[in-house]
Amino acid sequence: MLESSAWIFFLSAVLATYVWRFAAVMISHRIQANHPIFEWFTCLAYGIIAALVARTLIIPTGLLALLPLWHRLIAMALAFLGFYVLGKRLWVGIVFGETGFIVLLWFNGVDGIGL
Amino acid sequence: MKELETNQKAVMAGISNAFGLPALILFSAMTGFGSFAQEQGLSLYMSLLSTIMIWGLPGQVVHVELYGMGAPLIAVVLGVAGVNARFMPMTLSMMPVFDDSPHNRRWNYFLAHMISINTWTEMLNRGLEIRADRRMAYFLGFSFTCMTAGIIGVLQGYLLFESMPQMVSLCFVFLVPIYFGLIMSNTVHPPYLLAFVLGCVLGPPMHLLTPEWGLVLTGLITGTLAYLLRHRLQVLLKKKEINA
Repeated sequence: MLESSAWIFFLSAVLATYVWRFAAVMISHRIQANHPIFEWFTCLAYGIIAALVARTLIIPTGLLALLPLWHRLIAMALAFLGFYVLGKRLWVGIVFGETGFIVLLWFNGVDGIGL
Repeated sequence: MKELETNQKAVMAGISNAFGLPALILFSAMTGFGSFAQEQGLSLYMSLLSTIMIWGLPGQVVHVELYGMGAPLIAVVLGVAGVNARFMPMTLSMMPVFDDSPHNRRWNYFLAHMISINTWTEMLNRGLEIRADRRMAYFLGFSFTCMTAGIIGVLQGYLLFESMPQMVSLCFVFLVPIYFGLIMSNTVHPPYLLAFVLGCVLGPPMHLLTPEWGLVLTGLITGTLAYLLRHRLQVLLKKKEINA
């Protein structure tokens, strides 16, 4: 009983995701490729993903929630700084962000986090 | 991008371009998911299937979270649909990339399943540089590599959860917002950048207002605003160039 209800929940989650992809393909088959709707939808996608990133950073769940907000924000700011000041190289941004993150963790040691 | 004469070469190019940061990000993100799923008591089998069949991290997390809380089925459906609704605009905006490809259009229903933020930005930025008839092969090579990295991530997150120092898990988890923040902000098209900036500002308060539909509403408001302002942005940028 418990086992089968787990599968029902899982398959519902699968369908609740795929239905969006399916609908999009169906719509795309009915409009021309240069239609302005595609640009609008790309804007929507950017807005949604931005909200997702900001949410993970500002209102996280799980482990990240154990750290203070300023800690996460400073590390993120460092990542942007490294990326945009030093020639837009992804790995530079990531190294900056993660290094800042680790240094802050090291010196601020948060309750409940084993190093 | 070099000329890709055969589909095989295109697949290999996709694999080798994914092998690196894109695969590492999926690996890290899915490590976090594996640990979380283990914590919440999801079976390993279902955790792996979740990555393969849902292939959208926020929805996977919401599914595990709500199921673990014992929420009703309708809450799980709406919650997952809400956080994964981005696949609709993402899929729609990516489909024109495959328009001149000779494949049977039915394949699009499968290609759409392989879309993630990673594979989507890759195809939007680099897809048009690839010969139209090789794009599908390139995309499949790229996205299967990402998915494989994700599956390995779930495995290691699930199995090593208890023995991994929290410091390491934290660094993995934090890699995800850094990576997506950087690649999404790095766009040359002004309306996309505006949508991104506004989305960052509006996202958190909207989430507090309505956790289920906050993402979708934010996207609708900021994306539409950016789209409507796109001509004005262009004029503004031109003025700046003249002044400079």
